[in-house]
Amino acid sequence: MAAFYEGLNALLQPSVMVAILIGSVGGLAIGAVPGIGPAIAIAILLPATVFLDDLVSLVLLLGVYGSSMYGGAIPAILINTPGTPVNALTTYDGYGMTRQGQAARALSLAYSASFFGGCFSILIGLGALMLFGPYLRDLGALFGQRDIFMAAALGAVLLIAAHRKTMGLAALLFAVGFLISLVGRQGLRGIDRYTFGIDYLAAGFNMIVVIVGIFAISQALFLLTGKDADPPEARIKGGLLRGFGELRKHPLVATISACYGTVMGIIPGVGEFVAQFFSYSTARATSRDPGKFGHGAPDGLIASEASNNAVPAAAMIPLLALGVPGEALTAMMMVVFFDAGIKPGPDIFENNPDFLFSLFIALLIINVLVVLTLLLSTRFIARIIYVPNRLLGAFILILAFVGVFSIRNSFADCMFAAGFGYLGFILRRLDWPLVPIVLGLVLGSIMVDKLTAGSGQIRNAVDLINRPVSGTLFVVICLVILWMIWTTLRTKRTLQP
Amino acid sequence: MRSAATTRTFASAGQGQGFASGSGGTSTTSRTAQEAFDARAPQTAQVAILDVHAFRRRQGDLLFSLLIAGIAAFFAWAFFGYTGWDDRRLPEPIGLYVLDQIGLAEFEGRARLGRILKQGWVAPAICLVILLPAALLNIIEAWRTYRWRVRFKQPSSAYHEVILWLRALEFVGWFIAYTALVPILGYLLSTLLLGTLLPLRLGYRSWRWLGICLLTSMAIVLLFRSGLQIRTPVNIWLYDQLPQDARNFMLRWF
Repeated sequence: MAAFYEGLNALLQPSVMVAILIGSVGGLAIGAVPGIGPAIAIAILLPATVFLDDLVSLVLLLGVYGSSMYGGAIPAILINTPGTPVNALTTYDGYGMTRQGQAARALSLAYSASFFGGCFSILIGLGALMLFGPYLRDLGALFGQRDIFMAAALGAVLLIAAHRKTMGLAALLFAVGFLISLVGRQGLRGIDRYTFGIDYLAAGFNMIVVIVGIFAISQALFLLTGKDADPPEARIKGGLLRGFGELRKHPLVATISACYGTVMGIIPGVGEFVAQFFSYSTARATSRDPGKFGHGAPDGLIASEASNNAVPAAAMIPLLALGVPGEALTAMMMVVFFDAGIKPGPDIFENNPDFLFSLFIALLIINVLVVLTLLLSTRFIARIIYVPNRLLGAFILILAFVGVFSIRNSFADCMFAAGFGYLGFILRRLDWPLVPIVLGLVLGSIMVDKLTAGSGQIRNAVDLINRPVSGTLFVVICLVILWMIWTTLRTKRTLQP
Repeated sequence: MRSAATTRTFASAGQGQGFASGSGGTSTTSRTAQEAFDARAPQTAQVAILDVHAFRRRQGDLLFSLLIAGIAAFFAWAFFGYTGWDDRRLPEPIGLYVLDQIGLAEFEGRARLGRILKQGWVAPAICLVILLPAALLNIIEAWRTYRWRVRFKQPSSAYHEVILWLRALEFVGWFIAYTALVPILGYLLSTLLLGTLLPLRLGYRSWRWLGICLLTSMAIVLLFRSGLQIRTPVNIWLYDQLPQDARNFMLRWF
């Protein structure tokens, strides 16, 4: 319990509370604008975190991450356009309700389900920390360099497996990210890898430059070359509190969905989409009126929102416990860890247990703050969704500059960010996934670091897998690869590729 | 609550086009807001979860796949000259060593696998083992899709897509011009310029939008430069022309 109070104490610093407030409200607004999303916001904010305290930086990013999905539900319900991609299923029933003149009811249900899902996974995390904290401290001894290497490899394999039907493409882009992380001078021997005699490349690509380019500048270019949406305006009539009462009538759907979100969030590379899909399918299968799904069923809305909001807290678990990010947003947070000199991984339970409590309590505060903000200002936030897309693109471009330049005062960084942005733009145009590049960048460097650090204990190939953890992880990797091969072969070949 | 017509004016004013009377026209002003919403809301538009996950190769995919494969091939070629491969230290004979690692033979030497793994060329080699086959598979898939499109007379030309890619270069140019302007005019003036000129170029030409853009640009400068004190260039030509006190003030805050 001492760690709990220390964590709470750290959180109650004014600067941390201000960061939570800014992150939460900012994340709401960002989530409410279709076309921006938390990844771009975090990419732009990443350079600013260099100047901030570690905990302040992390709670700021957590605020954006934890609140954006709440905000994303607003355009999904009001204009049938998900604010963030994970709100896609919310449009099914949320927009259906809006069409029936029940926009306020839909918003209220979405908020209450999101709040339930978010708090559910946070409380599971906090409970696990309190119950198993003393035992988790021994976890560090079980995890060596080779085990973390194998965990990162498993993260990579799961990421590729999660891109069903585009596994080849995900592997290709993962390798591209990995390749980008390899450019530069190797620490131990001073060997220049892929620098081609260019001095700038000797230091390697800064991760933030790549992330801002791939996510923020590419999205700016995408918006600037597109067209402005002109959605019809929906009317929000009635109070926004009644959804909390209505949620009590659907306890099973809410709980099952939150469980899906928690479990899927823990598995690296899986995340919100799969959680939503399973939750929605289960809710429909167990509903007394499945025909209403897709046309304004409250169960469907609850399933979608409870599951996707349960993911952020759960996704922090592999990041903190293994040092392996499961998706793009946690990969970006990993960059903050790198900069702060904090090593997420099994040792964190021994060295920084208060830090873990701080993060989970911060998430809880973020959820409460976000719901309060939404109850008071939904009508104002709903105006944001009508901001023209191309104008947003122009301002993302301005923000991207300050983000990139401030890292090292380097114009070359800006040029490379523009190059990565252009690459990201073409990938967006072609619908190629961007997440594998970022995970390739982060997981690739983790794998190389751990393999190099653990090389002293490796006499032959068996030494890579002869530890309990690394051996188990290796078996899981083999099983996942076999499953990937099996599903690929089993898929019937259709006429259209 | 504004009427739908008002909303439409708001949404399209940014493009400098005003409200063009479409299907609703000015008659919608007499309806209630809900009726106006119903009139304009698409009846069947629904974002399907399958659509979110679905991946369909588009026009231009084959061209870009070839480009990526070309880049992968370039890095494979560069592997031998730019990764420390020349300074590799491998046990001899390597074939026997590999067989020894999988238990099919016995290697007499004392080479440790760890010594090999920490050499500079190993990580690029692992990366290329994933990159090259994946790039090849991707070309095959892209080619199959292209052939399918040609066979069933679907649009297959990459022309329009490539034109769009080239159009985006204009905005990359704006970004680079902005980057180049900052050391000359300073962060404040450059941001205000880009924040108003780019929206003007995009068609947001009313005074209202000009004011909004100026205020937003100013807010960005105040938040990031004045508030968070994020670093921007220090040698600024315009500030150097100012009196010393004014120069110091501008350098500190803007």
